[in-house]
Amino acid sequence: MAVLKLRLAGPLQAWGGSSRFVNRHTREEPTKSGVLGLLAAAQGRRRSEPVEDLVGLKFGVRVDQPGRLLRDFQVARSLDGRESMPLSYRYYLSDAVFLAVVEGPDAVIEGLNDSVLDPVYPLYLGRRSCVPAGRISLGVEGVSLDTALRMEPWQAAVWHQKKQAARTVSLEIFRDALEPGEAGETVRDVPLDFSPENRSYTWRTVVRPKPHEVPNPFGKEQSHDPMAELGGS
Amino acid sequence: MKNFYLDVHALHTVPPSNVNRDDTGSPKTAMYGGVRRARVSSQAWKRAIRKDFSDYLDSSRLGTRTKRLVDMVAKHIQEISPELSDRAAELAIAAVQAGGFKVEVPKAKDETATAKPARTEYLLFVSNIQARRLAEVALEAEKNGADLDKKLVKAVLQSDQSVDVSLFGRMIANSTDLNVDASVQVAHAISVHAVESEFDYFTAVDDESGDGEPGAGMIGTVEFNSSTLYRYATLNLGGLLKNLGDPGATVEAAVSFVRSFVESMPTGKQNTFANKTLPDGVVVTLRERMPVNLVGAFEEAVTAEDGKGRLRVAAERLARYSAELDAGFGGAATTTFVVAPTSAVEALSQLGRGVSFPDLIEALESELPAYVRGE
Repeated sequence: MAVLKLRLAGPLQAWGGSSRFVNRHTREEPTKSGVLGLLAAAQGRRRSEPVEDLVGLKFGVRVDQPGRLLRDFQVARSLDGRESMPLSYRYYLSDAVFLAVVEGPDAVIEGLNDSVLDPVYPLYLGRRSCVPAGRISLGVEGVSLDTALRMEPWQAAVWHQKKQAARTVSLEIFRDALEPGEAGETVRDVPLDFSPENRSYTWRTVVRPKPHEVPNPFGKEQSHDPMAELGGS
Repeated sequence: MKNFYLDVHALHTVPPSNVNRDDTGSPKTAMYGGVRRARVSSQAWKRAIRKDFSDYLDSSRLGTRTKRLVDMVAKHIQEISPELSDRAAELAIAAVQAGGFKVEVPKAKDETATAKPARTEYLLFVSNIQARRLAEVALEAEKNGADLDKKLVKAVLQSDQSVDVSLFGRMIANSTDLNVDASVQVAHAISVHAVESEFDYFTAVDDESGDGEPGAGMIGTVEFNSSTLYRYATLNLGGLLKNLGDPGATVEAAVSFVRSFVESMPTGKQNTFANKTLPDGVVVTLRERMPVNLVGAFEEAVTAEDGKGRLRVAAERLARYSAELDAGFGGAATTTFVVAPTSAVEALSQLGRGVSFPDLIEALESELPAYVRGE
């Protein structure tokens, strides 16, 4: 087993859950269907092609820099301006950085990494206009999903690190349930078919294990300690 | 076939303006690097590019996004066979319906000049050649007394894609076999520096008000900002060739895209601010492997420093960042062209071959065929 580590960063990202049509929302972290879609595009699969083999990969994300929600208002008109489409509201995450990890058989993971470095279709972070900044792949490693999510250094920008006062920062993790019966939130986020006429998803259990703690090089000693006043430590 | 990507990067200074606004009238923005940036959405700029195409590409090479395909087809029917003018609308409706589209036909009794035209359910992005071919297919069936061949109608809508449809794609929700995957990806333009919105308070005088009526006829505010934008788009040459099916047309479409990406400007509040500018510098890279968006160069917001304007700092940052990424990851561009006409952006010159903008267009015309052939 091996993992492919991806750094998902850029001015804008949009990871749609269930919304379509005029109100297009985004989740606060990348979806499995979105990232598998990105990998499938890298391999040159068309939307109508099966993705069953990818669905079997284990998936997890770590929130290295949560970003901010952005609401975008969009008008669509015909070129001559005579016909108008419904107004739409699109939500984006701006300024976010995620570490996404997929785990699977060595050969599959190596192949996916090659595709991400040499994609057949241009890659995007959930919506076509959300172009990733710089390079996505952080490489392949022969470790487990859980280990990879905790081994990789903090990917946040320096400005974001400086903004965090604490000396240790907790990074939220959202990953697939790895054992049957593991408790978590059930979300409809496993693609069965990406083709527009049959687009369908099935359920997966998303587990939020203990956040990963990273040292913050810019953290300051906490001088304000209200517990001390109360006799605590 | 190898994958070839053409990336276009531009640094583009826009004076006080409101190029692209939200539903409250404020210029669009986004957070990046922890500070607020001016933003022009990809949708707004793609529309400007499509409008720019019509300045120099023949309309037969272009598409239109319309609910009035029936009218377009009917017009062609009238042109080809004037004797069938009376039945043009009827034949056109049949042809469009054979393509799998619902048509809302106005009620028969409402035959005034203001009668609503027949419309499709939603906007269709079709090429002008396709409308012409639909008319031909409809007339052919009429002449032979045969039913319209639905397969033939679909085939018409799948071939002869226009330059703009092949670049920007087409999505038809209930006829997915007619979808065209976009071969171009345009990022939202964002400013390389932090911006704050400014407000212009205005009063408008009523020219006809007399001396006894002091005061303004109207007051209000207009919000605006001024910015140096980083603009980026990438073009998948293999995907474009797949959409167009012809290497010559592919080169023409790719060169047109670069040309209009550089020369266009969305028209938001253009009459108020006269903000039509050209980019300060343009970099075009051809890569065999992944496209590279260099927006990370500006994650730390640019500020003017030591007598250097922010444009100069931005150009230096972009050049350095691009070189660093190539050094760190490999996969450098096979060819890079740089249009850097002013000394403020001279740092870009170190990225590749310096050319004027007309020379860039010529160079792309001569070099792209080899890439399109996958050599």
